Amino acid sequence: MALEHVSGRNMGRVVLYALSTCPWCNKTKQLLKDLGVDHYYENVDLLRAEDREQVMKTVEKWNPACSFPTLVINDNKCIVGFKEDEIREALKA
Amino acid sequence: MSDKVAISQDEINRQYERLKRQAEAGGYYLNPDAKFTMELVKGLLVNERRYGYQACPCRLAAGDRDEDMDIICPCYYRDADVSQYGACY
Repeated sequence: MALEHVSGRNMGRVVLYALSTCPWCNKTKQLLKDLGVDHYYENVDLLRAEDREQVMKTVEKWNPACSFPTLVINDNKCIVGFKEDEIREALKA
Repeated sequence: MSDKVAISQDEINRQYERLKRQAEAGGYYLNPDAKFTMELVKGLLVNERRYGYQACPCRLAAGDRDEDMDIICPCYYRDADVSQYGACY
């Protein structure tokens, strides 16, 4: 399992579950980068089957629809989809 | 699984034109944001190489055609998404 880490301003543990092929996921990755927030992302489609299953259990806990992108902030807030305003609001300095 | 699937711009353009014709013949239109749509088209082609069929780039495929039948583009959820959001992706 290889969570990718992007360094930046610490806003707690910010984890993005994404698909490498999905443009909405890419927009979310870019937004997090632009916001300069320290975060991790996982391209779930690139994981080996057993790792993927494990990660999807976590995604399902936050987002039962298991859709992408799923963003989990500090283990207490989840934003599903590229909701730019909501993400900016949740991660504002 | 590797993400190093090389898809040429030429392939993307050809597939884009093909999808545009198919969509319009069925009364649909591709997203006018061509850059975004090209990225989607590339995702479809990556999935075709990876799985052997064009699974939706925004949904997680199981890698089994029968299991993924519902998410092969145009997927079963397209009309519901178009009705609800005015677009699929």
